[in-house]
Amino acid sequence: MRARASSRLAAMVPGFVFAAVMACAVSAPLAAQEENALGRDVYDRWCASCHGYEGLGDGYAATYMLPRPRDFTQALYQIRTTASGQLPTDDDIMRVINEGMPGTTMPGWEEELSLEERLALVDYLKSFSRFFAAGEAPEPLTFSSPTRATEEALADGREVYELIECNRCHGIDGRGDGTSSPTLVDDAGMPTYSADLTENWYFNGGGTVEDIYQRLRTGLDGTPMPSFTDLIDAGVITDEQLWNLAHYVRSFAPEDPPGITEVIRAGLVEDAPLPDGVDDPLWESAEAFYIPMGGQIIESPRWFVPQVAGLWVRALHDGGELAVHVSWSDHSESPDTAWAAFQAQVLSAVGPDEGDMEPGPRPDGLYLQFPMEIPEGMDKPYFLMGDPLDPVYLWHWESTAGPAQEADARGLGTMAAQGDASQSLASEAAFSAGRWAVMFRRALETGDPGDLQFRVGEPVPVGFAAWDGDNGESGSRGSISSWHYIFLQEPTPATVVVAPLIATLLTAGLGVLVVARAQRREREGAEGPDEGDA
Amino acid sequence: MNTKPWKHPLGQAAIVVVLAYVLFEWGIWLLPPLFGVASAPVPATVVLQYMGTVVVGVLIWVSDSEERWKQFKAPIHRVMVDPRQKVLRTALMVTIPLLVAFMTFDRVRPTVSAPAALRSVHPAPPGQIDFRGETMVLNGLENPLRHEGDLEKHYEEGKRIYVQNCMACHGDALDGQGHFASAFNPAPLSFQDPGTIVQLTESFVFWRIAKGGPGLPREATPWDSAMPAWEDLLTAEEIWQVTIYLYEQTGWEPRTWEEEGAEGEEH
Repeated sequence: MRARASSRLAAMVPGFVFAAVMACAVSAPLAAQEENALGRDVYDRWCASCHGYEGLGDGYAATYMLPRPRDFTQALYQIRTTASGQLPTDDDIMRVINEGMPGTTMPGWEEELSLEERLALVDYLKSFSRFFAAGEAPEPLTFSSPTRATEEALADGREVYELIECNRCHGIDGRGDGTSSPTLVDDAGMPTYSADLTENWYFNGGGTVEDIYQRLRTGLDGTPMPSFTDLIDAGVITDEQLWNLAHYVRSFAPEDPPGITEVIRAGLVEDAPLPDGVDDPLWESAEAFYIPMGGQIIESPRWFVPQVAGLWVRALHDGGELAVHVSWSDHSESPDTAWAAFQAQVLSAVGPDEGDMEPGPRPDGLYLQFPMEIPEGMDKPYFLMGDPLDPVYLWHWESTAGPAQEADARGLGTMAAQGDASQSLASEAAFSAGRWAVMFRRALETGDPGDLQFRVGEPVPVGFAAWDGDNGESGSRGSISSWHYIFLQEPTPATVVVAPLIATLLTAGLGVLVVARAQRREREGAEGPDEGDA
Repeated sequence: MNTKPWKHPLGQAAIVVVLAYVLFEWGIWLLPPLFGVASAPVPATVVLQYMGTVVVGVLIWVSDSEERWKQFKAPIHRVMVDPRQKVLRTALMVTIPLLVAFMTFDRVRPTVSAPAALRSVHPAPPGQIDFRGETMVLNGLENPLRHEGDLEKHYEEGKRIYVQNCMACHGDALDGQGHFASAFNPAPLSFQDPGTIVQLTESFVFWRIAKGGPGLPREATPWDSAMPAWEDLLTAEEIWQVTIYLYEQTGWEPRTWEEEGAEGEEH
């Protein structure tokens, strides 16, 4: 509408006066903007609320996000096919408009805007900076063809990973927990996290091997991620080795991004003891379910920049006890003094300013939430820690508080641990190479009326919340999920085998009888007098 | 023997049964919408009942005349006794029991699924609500800002409110694809969808924003919804402003009370 107002204004001013004023008073980029009415309309309508009407990356929502929206006047673009320090090509800008920046708040606009609108938008974005008008069109780098991801390639990629010190930021297992991680800031001075390489679906420039190779060649300008083209030019590594590295980086993440889980199946363990630790080998074979998490932005104080994007959940039971294993990526074992300054930067960078935004040592945390009893109908307690009339029962773990505890809550901020006499939960937690693993174990039936009693074969609502203390998270500032279900698998009933067998035998037997009878009567009919009926 | 399949009673019976199945399974569901009439898939148990009726009907028809009954049976009989049909006979005697085994297994095997939630997406709004201690009558209520102040200012303010509060779930493009959307079930609504705000009056939208998930009636599963009750964070004016933004940005027109009256109690 702002755009509509300005174009209306433009229409009222006689053309020649308008042009004269423009020529005298306005710089070249702005003149280019006035010519591109469509680009301006689209930009003002859809982009300005984050990137700002003047392209400075200071729109209304800017302080609600980390990383901040791009400042187009700087002409610094992360995702390019050009050398580090160069401007992006038009296709590079178009690609980000089309596909967005996974792992950030920038969505793709390919479905939303027409090609004409997007082309006008590319020109409009370029008009925010003089650099595009001044120089020649940027030349993309020449990229070699991908090599094959052989065992040797991956082994070599692993060596390159350490040789060129990727682990300094991205960590030895790729989870972004390297020793330099807490010192990272982008060119605007904002704290920035090194990418978690185990979640390639959140890579800003795409998660394929080709994308990774290109980012290694071009770097992510404006961020601490450098280009490694100069190492090839200097003969430190070969181009093939950079491909090997790309394959190795890709291998941290699963083949496909995880789907959304509604029901977590707790497998029945019959011929082995239930796991009693986070590293029990039985967990390797247990089915893993992914639970996506979002910031708690429902009740104040809200949190728009959560660090725990998702949890991996595994569950097993033996008919007597239930064991649940939850793991997730975390840059640090909070509270870690190495991250204190980083945490302070995060807290001062993000809004809205609600609640206690003072930096300080905060633990990591996790809870699993259940209703007090398995619901009869569809009713459940409110998914955000219940409410006064319908409380929830929780398994709550904190990195500084010893074993996990059973707790109750009647709404956000009301969680209270059960008395010592009521505690019946066993747990173990371990932090290793940027990954937390927490295991809970409890008897299905505790006899405590304050606990949920599990029953095999009945889906039980379960919800999750997690906190990254070194990211400034505590209390209501963390990440949450909505209700899911956990289902304790029943022993396979004999009917599953017996019923099809009986049905087959009956059908086959009946078939044989009918055919045999028909054939006998056919023979009798051929030999004896015709009975008139076959 | 050389008659065309559709002239032979067995062929005719088979055609009738197949056609009936196609009609029950897909026809009843997919044909009426072509003529603008609402429809829905037929439940499997009902299809089974209908098919039973059709099969009985076909059997009555073929056995109605002696001649037709003989014709009908002849090919079946031939497969059972003719030495030249031995391969087909053996194949059928193996595949049919296997098919039965598979169908039985499919019915008895344990499956895991979330309990079905029959959730009402647009529940009936209350006649009036209490908003920050004041009673607001929703029936007939219009967005007051459409006739008050500068509409462009309201839109701009609505834009600010939207991107600071709503965008994380409902998305930059108002398509329900915000970066937190996958964490929540039911998923955040897409306002671009022709089934959402375009079907609603602005007073309904005001009610949903003000009271959020916790203010839903029971049939809309208030315990599942991640929609905050915005009356705690936004003023009435801000809620009306963001409502203007939703309609302006998507290009939809809000439903008016005249339409609502004319079409009766649809919501």
